[in-house]
Amino acid sequence: MELKLSPQLREQVEEAREWGRAEVRPAGLEADRNAAPLPPEHPYFRKFVDSGRASARAQAAETPEGRMVRAVVLGEESAYWDRGMGVATPGAGFPAGSVNATGTPEQKERFLGPFRELKDPHWASFALTEPGGGSDTAAFRTRATKTDRGYVLNGAKCFIGNAVRADWILVQATLDPSLGRAGQRSFFVEKGTPGLTGMKVEKKMGLRAYESVSFVLQDCEVPAENLLGGEDREARAPRAPGSGTGAYGATMGALNSARVGVAASALGIARAALDEAGQFAKASGSLKHPRVRDALERSLRKLRAARLATLKAGWLLDVRRTNVIESSMAKILAAESAQEAASLGMEIVGLEAGAGDTLIEKLFRDAKALNIVEGTGQIQRVIIARQLVGLPR
Amino acid sequence: MDFGIREDDQLIVDTMTAFAAEQLRPALRAAEAAHAVAPEVRASFGDLGFEDLDMPEAAGGAGLGMLTRVLANISLARADAGAAIGLDRVGPALYVLKAFGGDEAVKRFARPVLDTPGARVALIVEGEDRNVAAGGRISGHAAWIPTDRADMIVGLSPAGAWMLEGGANLTAVRGAGLQAAGASRIEFDGPAAAAWTDPKAAARALARVRVCIAALIVGVLEDATQFSRAYAQERVAFGQPIAHHQGLAFLIVDMFTAVEQARLLVENAARRIEAGDDAVQEAAAAFVEAVEASRFVGPNGVQILGGHGFMRDFPMEKAMRDCRALGLLAGGLHRAQDDAASLAWATADAFEEA
Repeated sequence: MELKLSPQLREQVEEAREWGRAEVRPAGLEADRNAAPLPPEHPYFRKFVDSGRASARAQAAETPEGRMVRAVVLGEESAYWDRGMGVATPGAGFPAGSVNATGTPEQKERFLGPFRELKDPHWASFALTEPGGGSDTAAFRTRATKTDRGYVLNGAKCFIGNAVRADWILVQATLDPSLGRAGQRSFFVEKGTPGLTGMKVEKKMGLRAYESVSFVLQDCEVPAENLLGGEDREARAPRAPGSGTGAYGATMGALNSARVGVAASALGIARAALDEAGQFAKASGSLKHPRVRDALERSLRKLRAARLATLKAGWLLDVRRTNVIESSMAKILAAESAQEAASLGMEIVGLEAGAGDTLIEKLFRDAKALNIVEGTGQIQRVIIARQLVGLPR
Repeated sequence: MDFGIREDDQLIVDTMTAFAAEQLRPALRAAEAAHAVAPEVRASFGDLGFEDLDMPEAAGGAGLGMLTRVLANISLARADAGAAIGLDRVGPALYVLKAFGGDEAVKRFARPVLDTPGARVALIVEGEDRNVAAGGRISGHAAWIPTDRADMIVGLSPAGAWMLEGGANLTAVRGAGLQAAGASRIEFDGPAAAAWTDPKAAARALARVRVCIAALIVGVLEDATQFSRAYAQERVAFGQPIAHHQGLAFLIVDMFTAVEQARLLVENAARRIEAGDDAVQEAAAAFVEAVEASRFVGPNGVQILGGHGFMRDFPMEKAMRDCRALGLLAGGLHRAQDDAASLAWATADAFEEA
């Protein structure tokens, strides 16, 4: 067991910390006060691109740590300053992983190429969740029908991040419902495609800094080359054992690291909440009270255990060992840690938190989402139980 | 970053695990009834060369670190935590001697105990300070210590430590758990063979004792979760294994998760100790986490077995008692909470793990 961070990664964290303090936190608070995401033309995004961070992101500077461990450490730091702004970050973001993993060389060039050296803020989006199904990805109803020219998509998606401002949305749809998961594929739907309609930015309790969007696909036609992986993907793509098949397999594979990423975000929120609570308790003198002191100790201990669990889940991924149980455990622990830390913070800050204009109150609203996205805490338990006791599907 | 187990440690874990499965597990109830590990089991443990695993090389030991000790304790406690204590004849007192008197004190006091067949050190963790000088008189008692023999007594208080060579009067008691280690009430009275006053060293020593005990707790809990999981997959109720009822499936997941949290914190504290840190806060927090996990996992392990869990035919009731008894050692939960909480605010940021 060796957990030292490399000097290179420490430097990256320091850098993220300075940027976070100066830019991200104020932008996140502004969005929260406005109860709406910052518009794409907001100076923050311009500054983000001009600072070269977008391209640095695209060409991730390696450190001696594995990629996922590095992502965990930086993800925590980023979410510490504002988790919502992290999701709103310009770039190819979440879908990039799927495109890199299963896209054709032409697709990687066409859809990810423009993001490599961003000159202006641009976004891409990934659409999985539907109004009738969140965690049950195998039950999605959005249909893709083959035509002479490509595919016609029909269905509805919801809670989709950055979808209004995205240049393209990677939409999950099923070609053949009778095949269940194996029938699912992902399609690039570009901005302005006829039939991509009904865009609605949801009003949220927290994490207001990024768009959560619902939209409708109404006879939305995309060319054949917009099918992720191409039409002969099955013949071409090697199958990892137990990874499932088709887009579902690719999606669940991505979710396996995505759970670790969300856990890292939750760690950031938990740490921010504990810093707020701890500073307040020190300043007000309530830290002297054993009840306050013990509650804070417990919360901090849970954060530290969650952090170790998250780093371990990331490390397992880096050394290519299965991390199904560990990533779900990390997600449970980190999300619950964030929720409890923020709730305790409300208690410690007291009526001032009740008044509504404090960071801890925002964190309390933000934190709840982390136990819902990327599989709720209950779904994580189902995933672990399948592994531990063979819980039937 | 590396969460893996060192190659040498893995060998030790494998050997310990095999020894525990072959020799400790089958004798679980016999050792409990006898309040002792059988002499032939003790002998074969000695033959494996594990008695001086973490004793410094200067004292003729293998000189391995705290992570190795943690892994060894977990491996043995997965079969029988009482036997693990009974087989570790110097026990965590080693770290008290080391914290105050360095390798020299270990060589001078602990080595002879190990070289005397069957001899054992009793560790008394005291909550109140004691002002004592070498040669000064030490007397007191403890209502329970998990041993049947005390050739040497090491006392650890918040201010310092002391040592008695002899002068112990042991009365056998039933013991709430860990009976294979022996169970005694101890009264002691005699001149201190050594005495030290150094609160910093005391905190450092207690941290190490806590990590040793917390590792034993983790071992008991790992076995309890595995055992109750296996049972829940076999036992059928309402047409399916009880593990497939979500109420139990989620409980089992939460039990495994609780043990993993404790294990991560214990291993991390051990890692910090190996790196030369005092690790007072980390060790205290790890101990608290392990005890909290034991209070969740122990009773629920029995719960999963239902009525069978309550019966002595299965080892679950023993796991519940053993892990609860372990939490009473090393000064107990509340003192650990004090130490964990009073030092918790040093930092909470991502750099702390480095």
